[in-house]
Order: sequence, then structure tokens, then C-alpha cells
Amino acid sequence: MSDVLLALLVTVPLVAAIFPLLFGLRYENAGWPIALAGSLVVTGLAGTLAWEIFTASTETGQRLVHEMAGYPAPYGIELVGDGLSALIALLISVVSVAVLIYSRSTGPGSNAFYSGFLLLMGGLLGMTLTGDLFNLFVFLEIVGLITYALVASDDSGMAAYGALKYLFLGTVGASLYLIGVGYLLVRTGSLNMLDLQARLADIGYTEPLVQAAFGFILIGLMLKIAVFPLHTWQPDAYTYAPDTVSAYISALVSTTAAYALIRISFDVFTVDFFAANQLITDAVVLVASISIVVGSLLAAMQTEIKRVFAYSSVAQFGMIVVAIGLNSRTALLGAVIHLVGHGLMKATLFMGAGILSSAYGATTISDYAGLAKRSPITSGGIAVTGLALVGIPPSIGILGKWYIALGAVESGSWSVAIIIFISTLLTLTYVARIIETLYFNPPEATHEETAASESVEHVAVGDEAVADGGLETRVATERIVVVAVLAVSTVALFASVDLFTELLDPVFGRFFQ
Amino acid sequence: MIEPTIRPLAAVAVSFVAAAFILASGRRPNLREAWTVLASVSMFGIVASMVPGVLAGEVYVTNLGTVLPGVDFVLRADPLGVLFASLASLLWIVTSFYSIGYMRGLDEHNQTRYFASFAVSVASAVGIAFAGNLLTIFVFYEVLSVATYPLVAHDETPEARAAGRKYLAYTFFGGGVLVLAGTVLVYWLTSLAPGAESATVDFTPGGISALANADPTAASVAFIVLALGFGVKAGLMPFHQWLPSAMVAPTPVSGLLHAVAVVKSGVFGIARVVLDVFGPETLADLGPASFGDLGIALPVAIIASITLTVASIIALRKDHLKRRLAYSTISQLSYIVLGLALLEGDALIGGLLHIPAHAFMKLTLFLCAGIIHVETHTDNISEMAGIGRRMPLTMTAFGIAAAGMAGIPLVAGFVSKWYIVIGALDGGNAVFAGVLLVSGVLNIAYFWPIVYQAFFETPDDHDTKPLLEGPFGGRDAIRADGSGRTDDHGTVDIDASVDPDANHEGGVHHAHDDTDEHHDDHHGHHGGPPAGGWPKRNWRGGESTWFMLGPILTAAALSLLLGIIPHTIVFMRIVETIVGNLPGVVV
Repeated sequence: MSDVLLALLVTVPLVAAIFPLLFGLRYENAGWPIALAGSLVVTGLAGTLAWEIFTASTETGQRLVHEMAGYPAPYGIELVGDGLSALIALLISVVSVAVLIYSRSTGPGSNAFYSGFLLLMGGLLGMTLTGDLFNLFVFLEIVGLITYALVASDDSGMAAYGALKYLFLGTVGASLYLIGVGYLLVRTGSLNMLDLQARLADIGYTEPLVQAAFGFILIGLMLKIAVFPLHTWQPDAYTYAPDTVSAYISALVSTTAAYALIRISFDVFTVDFFAANQLITDAVVLVASISIVVGSLLAAMQTEIKRVFAYSSVAQFGMIVVAIGLNSRTALLGAVIHLVGHGLMKATLFMGAGILSSAYGATTISDYAGLAKRSPITSGGIAVTGLALVGIPPSIGILGKWYIALGAVESGSWSVAIIIFISTLLTLTYVARIIETLYFNPPEATHEETAASESVEHVAVGDEAVADGGLETRVATERIVVVAVLAVSTVALFASVDLFTELLDPVFGRFFQ
Repeated sequence: MIEPTIRPLAAVAVSFVAAAFILASGRRPNLREAWTVLASVSMFGIVASMVPGVLAGEVYVTNLGTVLPGVDFVLRADPLGVLFASLASLLWIVTSFYSIGYMRGLDEHNQTRYFASFAVSVASAVGIAFAGNLLTIFVFYEVLSVATYPLVAHDETPEARAAGRKYLAYTFFGGGVLVLAGTVLVYWLTSLAPGAESATVDFTPGGISALANADPTAASVAFIVLALGFGVKAGLMPFHQWLPSAMVAPTPVSGLLHAVAVVKSGVFGIARVVLDVFGPETLADLGPASFGDLGIALPVAIIASITLTVASIIALRKDHLKRRLAYSTISQLSYIVLGLALLEGDALIGGLLHIPAHAFMKLTLFLCAGIIHVETHTDNISEMAGIGRRMPLTMTAFGIAAAGMAGIPLVAGFVSKWYIVIGALDGGNAVFAGVLLVSGVLNIAYFWPIVYQAFFETPDDHDTKPLLEGPFGGRDAIRADGSGRTDDHGTVDIDASVDPDANHEGGVHHAHDDTDEHHDDHHGHHGGPPAGGWPKRNWRGGESTWFMLGPILTAAALSLLLGIIPHTIVFMRIVETIVGNLPGVVV
């Protein structure tokens, strides 16, 4: 069966990426509308895909396949859309639209940026939908290269440094992944995921070459996901990138890499591989648990707001990877929910931080003192999302945590369960600090800041259209609206568990036969 | 009979909606306060409308759909829920008026945030009351923690922020870590029971049957984790530290939330766990054989006994009135927990009845402390000698409530304590009855001097207070504040880290002395009688505004009514219905 929807999802953004540059030759501001139109089309397509899978009753309807250029698998490359990839595609498209609306007034506004943005979206969707390991590498590289460029688009020296660091480490990660794929090709002669699954089952999971292949793929992708201690590129990249870019890549790039790890772990290597290699399973759980604890502690130690969020991602992805190692259906459901939830929450937090930084120049936690009175909506968004990240119900944050913890309890991994429960407090250590500073610390009247706030008020006097408590006229309304809507969505998605289970049940049915 | 209806949801929603209106009308204080009053009255009306039905055996249910497989987000008004909800909403009306008088009397900042947070806090307390399963109660439990944080940190001073941090850390350790863990454990244990979709965390009178047959060790762990998780808000030692620190909050917050809604939600959670999750019979069977009749509830009973004794002794040493009340709260909450943990019909009745009884009495006491603060800026007991001249009605109400705390007949505290003692003796646990009686003596020891000195001593001629001074163990204390006043700066003092006294000395509230027409203070003088002793005020309300006196007298009257005619004012009947519904419990 050939489903053209899948091909369109990947090709629309990739093709659209040409136009900002092309029309940019003539129109200065061509990039934004084209990028927005492209993202909206992709959102529609992703929504259709999810809906088709959601309503399908047959097994083929729940796993859509498109053979590229008509070459059948395993020789041709196929795109596969099932419940899992549909969810991630939906996340990518929704966050893309949100970030684009947010970026309209803040940029980086060059047409090249919007081309890059569309390319990145295409790459991410490609990673999500591909059913072929080498094809995944290609999209991984597309994503990587564009991300390096976008991080550096701030034009500052530190942005270039962050991008370069990411470039080196990201390339190492992609190379390790490629080596792993190479091993698999040498041993089995196939690159198609489902085909590999069958062949690996015949070969046996304890063969050193297979183990080594998994090891290389695991470490390569963990580097891309930024799990401790392979995270060192990530705080610099997130911190020095422009606000729009940090929101986008923090929400999606690591998320898609984690998706790829889930896909490869369960669709190619399968649960039997984990059962046969207890040592590898234990190592995954151990590294991920350390990542949860150390990431949270590092986040609590930071003073720069974007670094706090960056290290928080290290901890949160630790929770997702731990769920992979737990090898439990319940925990994996939690991991996918948390993957989506974390993407939304981090996008909101970075966008909120971006608003406060462009309005008041606030980039460190102490700069946030008393800002809640000046921009109540943005602060409220950050507070609500922060609490959702901690796992305070009702929010999507608690759903993911519930299932991962339940999975840990079910599989008898008590130490993991305890770490996950304690992670509430670990997350609280940095979230509470931000909220307290925002709401309860008196504003520090440093000269620089006083000057900044005065100028903001100055503008406000001349303009009746007050957006956010009356002082934030320099910040476009739509940026605040995006943050508010996303913050509300993190709460509203508390009721979304049916959507997740319905979409994921057929997929997990295959994973855990 | 189970009746699907919107009423439990309406009771919760009315105050969430009110919070939105309060935020929206922040610039018009009178309109804003009208929303608070309107919401509290309508919430009480909705809850009260369900009381007759509930007493007749109806259960009102609002089901908001499935959250997890087998777990719905459900609000359910059963007798136990109605007990707590009617209490919280009734006292919210009382406190609303008091809040208006208090906040305006002190000309506090950020009143909009204060009233909105207050509304959300009460809404989540009622949500906790009506929660139909562990997951729903967990959701509201966490919302309550979030909503009360701005109230604790209201002053925005370093002390208040530190207290807020401490509060968050403790409550999220209790809620986000322990209650969540316990809920997951219960869900897992019930999912192991035979039958598809057997996983449940629904409250069932007498306990979830699947838990009775579950692995005893795991079930015991689940019970202890849940009991401790709710115990954090219930002030069980060693998780009680947040409560004295949280006394930096404005007094109505200490009154309604830290004596009624928040701490009682912890106690209420323990009640749900004991009665409706595990059930007294299952609990008695769990645990090692050496635990005897009480089974796994024995450790909880022991912790409660220790808490109620130790907290009373600490209260003896406190000179700051609100702090002494905080330790008294910690002690009294453990009465309730002890009553529940004794697993015996009369003790359960006593424990549950002590929820409203303690609420009325302690609210009276806190409101008295608040009115004294507003009128005279006096916070320390040692400066209150002879204050009965200045505030006769207030101190009379204080005397009534204090007598109730000690278990003197005709006041609410007597009835509930009587039942707990009887229950302890009936169950063959005389040692716990002894603990309760000793605690009654301690209560008199730390409350009576306050009442006595108010009326029968003068500022010039009075005994030293507090009764115990200096650190326990007799080592000479180094005074952190350098003053001669013996306070709680002892070397073994376990709560020296955050001290509302510092707030008192910092003089945060005294900035508005000039605008307060009733005050007897001078600038630079922090509390205590003015030169020449307390002026005499009449008994017809000359001591303050009726905004504050009215609520105080109402709360005191309620404590008396509950002590004299417990059945007529319904609470006793609700409690008897709850206990009567439990299978296997003999009253």
C-alpha cells in the first residue's frame, strides 16, 4: 500500500524551503509567510495522518506505508506512518506553527533563516517517518547541519562557539550512529527496519556484532539526545542560539532523536534483544538515572535562565531513556507522552524566557526579580508550565511521569521508581526558584535594569494597545498569546490519555508481542 | 444510592470561577470582595443542599471522564466528603469577612492575589473533600499546595520567601513524591488482582477489596507511604516543620488554611486511606503479628502519639502566640490521626468529629491572635498581660476555645476527645488513652496562662511567660537576637531556621501604624501595652471592627454548639453515618 500523505509530509517543507530564498531575491519579507503557509499545510497533513490512523480499524490502516519511487522494500526506501510517528509529526508541526507565529516580530528575520527553518522541519519529519536506517542517518545529518546553522544565526561570537561545539559533537554522534548501521548492514545485508527485525531474530541477539551495532547506535543517538555525560554541547547551543531557535530545537531536535532511539530499540532490535542482553539494559537504565539526578542538580546550580532549561532537558530526557531501558509497555507509553509533553513545555518555557529577555533584558534568574508584576501573562505562562514540568497535576507532565513510574513499579525496578518519584523534588529545586524570583522577590534596581524598564514604560505611555499588563508594548501581542496558549495546552492535555493510548496501542502491540 | 448530578462539581467550580472574577476586578476592592463573599455563600449553599440527601444515604457523583484506564476524574459527595466540604465552605464565609477587616486594617499589599489564591485554595480543599479516588484527590492536593504558596510567601520578605520554599519542599515531598508513589502502588496492587480492568484507586467504604488479598508487604508499604504523604500536610512529626514557619502568612491564612483547610486535607487524606482505600479490617490484618490488633496502623498511632505529646511540650516554650497555636495545631491534628489509627468505632467517631471541633476552636484562637495583632501589634504572649481590659470579647472567645482544646466539657473538644478515649479503652489500647489525658493537661498548661493573665494580671505585675524557658536539656542558650527576651533560639530548638519573630522585629506591618486609627502603638515600639497599661474598652465591640469580631464570635459560638448539641448541628450525624457505613466496624 502506498500512502502519498507520508511523502507529502516530508517533501512539502523540503521543497518549500527553496521559496524563501527564491522570492527573497525580490521581496524582502517573503520568508515568514511562506514558512507559515508551509507549516500550516504540514500541520493539516499531520492532523490528517493522525486522524486516519486514529480511526482505522484494520492493521494495515494503522500502519501506513509509502514506497519511495515505487521501489519495494527491503531494497527501496519506505516511509512508515503509524500511531507513534503520527504523534511526533503532529508535535513537530504544531510547535513549528507556534514558533513561527512567535518569530514574526523577533526574527531572526532573514529569508535564509526561514529556508533553514523549513529544511529543519522537513528533516525532523523525515526522521520521524522513515522506515530505513540509512535514510534516518541522512535526515539526522540534515537536521544536524541546519541546527548548527540556526544556532549560529545569532551572529554573536558565543553563538558561533556554541554552534561549533555542537557541530563537532553532533558529527561524532551521527558518525557513531552510522558505524552502528554499517555493522548491521555488514551482518544482515539490509537497512529496512522491519526486514532487519526479522533477520536479527534469525541471527540471534547475543552475537557481538549485533551488540556492538546497538552500542554504537545507542551512544550516537544519546549524544544527539544529550543524555549525561554526552550533553556538553547542548547547554551552550541552547543558551547562545537566538530565542526562537532555542525554543524550536529544544522542543524538537532532541525529541526526534529520542523518538529514533525508541523506534530502533523496539522496531529493529525488539524487546527480545533487551531480554537477551541484560547488561546493556542495565547500562541504559543506569546512565539515564544518573542523567535525571545530575541534570536536575546542574539545572539547579545555573544562574542563566536558558541554561537552567537546557540542563532540565538533560534530566527530562533521562526520564525518557530510562523508560526505554525498563522494557515495559507502560513505561514506554509514559516515555512517548513525556516526549510530547516535554516538547510543548520546553517550547513554552524558552519562548517565555525569550519574551522577558527582549522586554527587560532579563537573562539570569536574578534579573527576573519582580517581573511578574510587569508582565503577568508571560510570568503566569512560565509558572504554569514550570509546575507542569515538575509534574503537578492537572498537566501533561504528571501523565508521563505516572506511566513511567507505574512501569518501573510493574517491572520491579524499585530504585528507578524512587528516582522518578524524587525527580519531582529535583525539578522543583529549579522551577520553584524561578517562580519565587518572578513573583516574590522585589525588583533589583540596578542601573542597567532601571534604564531598561523605564524605556519600556516610556513606549507604553504612547500606545494604548496594552498587551500584557500595560508595560510590554515592545513585545508583540502574538508572542504572549502563543506562550499563553501553549501553557494552557500543557494543562488541558491532562485529559489526553485516550488519544495517546488509542494511537499507540497498535504500535506497542507490535513492540511487545 | 448513587445519583449523577452536577452539584459536587458546582461546589468546586464556583470558587475557581470566583478566583477569575477576583483577578479581573482587582482595581475595584469592594466588587472584588463581593465576589469572595458571594462565592463562599453559594459554595456553602451548594454543599449544604447535599447534606440531607447524604444523610439519607444518597451519594452525589459528577464524573468528568477517564484519565487513566480504570480511573475516572470523579467528584463524589459522600458523608465523609460532605463533612469536610461543609466545614471548609462554612468557615470560608466566616474567614472571608475577617480577611476583609484584617487586610484592610493592615492596608496590606497585593490583596487581589491574596483573595484569588484564597478562593483557589478553598476550591481545592473542597475538591479534596469530594474527590472520588486517589488520583482525583492527588490532583487537588497538589493544586492546594500550589495555591497556598503565594499566601505563605505573601509578605515577600526574606523570611516569608524562605517559609514559602520550605512549604513547597515539604508539601511536594508529601504530595508529588509520597502520595503519587502510594497511588501508583495501589493501582499496581489492584491491577494484579484477578479479572480484567481490575486496577482501581476508587474510594470504597470499608476498603478496596483487591487490596485485602494483595501481597501483604507491598500493601503495608503502600499504606505507610500514603499515610506519611498525607501526614506531611497533617503535621505528623518529623514532617511538621513547615507549619510553624508558615505562620509568617497573614493571620486569616493561618486561621482558615493552616488550621482548617490545608492541614485538614492531610488529615482527611489519611481518613480516606484508612476508611475507604484499605479499610479498618484490612489494616488490622496487615503488618507483623507483633503489631497486635492495630496491624499496620500501629506505627501511625505511635507517630501520632509522639507528635501530640512532643508538640504540646514545644508549645509550652513558645512566646510568639501564633507559633504556640501552630504547635497546638500539630498536636491536635494528631488527635484525629490517632483516633483514625485506633481502627475502632468510637475512636473513629471521635477522630472524625475532632475535624470540625478542632476547626471551630482553632479558627477562633487564630482569629483572636490576628485581631490582637491588628489592634495592638502585639504578637508575644509575654506582652499580653492584662490585655483582657483592652479586648474583652476577644479574650473571652479565646478562653472558650482554649478550654475546648483542653477538653473541658460543654465545648466541642470535649465530645470528640471523649469518644477517642472511650475508643482507645474499648480497643484495649489504654496507653493511647493515657497519652490523650496527659496531653489535656499540657493543653491547659500552655493555654490557661494566656487567658489567666489577660484578665487577672496587669502589665506591671505578672508571672514570667512562657512557662518553660530556655532550651530543653538545660544548656545556656546563646540569644541570637541579643535581646533579653527568652525566645526560641535555643541550641536544641528544632525550628530555629525560620522565625516569624524576626518578622515581628523587622516591623513589616508597622509601616502603617499612622493610618490605623485604633492602634495603641507608638513608632518604634513593637507591641505590648502602651505606657500606662491597656486602656479599658467596652464589651459592645469597642475593641475593634465587627468585620473581625463577628467572625470570632461566630466561630466561638460554633465550638460551643458542637460541644453542647453535636447532633443538632448535623456534624455528629454525618460522622455517625460515615462510621455506620463501614462494614465490620462496631460502634
